Amino acid sequence: MSRDVQAEIDQLVKANPVVLFMKGTPSFPMCGFSAQTSSILQACGVPYETVNVLADPDLREGVKLYGSWPTIPQLYVGGKLVGGCDITRELYQRGELEPMIKAAAAPPA
Amino acid sequence: MTMQAWIEETLARALPGAVVRVTDTTGGGDHFEVDVLASQFVGLGMLEQHRLVYAALGDKVGYEIHALGLRTRVP
Repeated sequence: MSRDVQAEIDQLVKANPVVLFMKGTPSFPMCGFSAQTSSILQACGVPYETVNVLADPDLREGVKLYGSWPTIPQLYVGGKLVGGCDITRELYQRGELEPMIKAAAAPPA
Repeated sequence: MTMQAWIEETLARALPGAVVRVTDTTGGGDHFEVDVLASQFVGLGMLEQHRLVYAALGDKVGYEIHALGLRTRVP
């Protein structure tokens, strides 16, 4: 049965309020942009799911198609693409990222 | 033509009137900081602004252009 990567990604981003597709892991990031993005999420103090695309080449290409975004890392909050490292950093600096993440991570009222 | 010049020309052509600044951050021709100020970004969110730049640069992004730090601004 061939793999449906797009469905897998869709399930991942819908099942977790905050998902970061990155190169490596938060403790062993393999790229500067991925390291920066995960440390920003760390600073927000809310649990987040990470996916190491280096461990899964199909997923690495699949997520570029899924988000129509050509680079990694990719941050998804509430099932929607927020952006890569630049946008995540800019939103964080403007104080917009933390409330967005906390709202997505909050249990439905 | 260097990759830096190619990026500058490609973005100037794709976004007429834009102010484009490209910095080769390592001197190796594949890690760049790009700052684009363009009227075409007005009314677009950051995601869409960045997508316009990525669309102009095409499939070089993530390959010949290994790392691209992007900053988009409106006049």
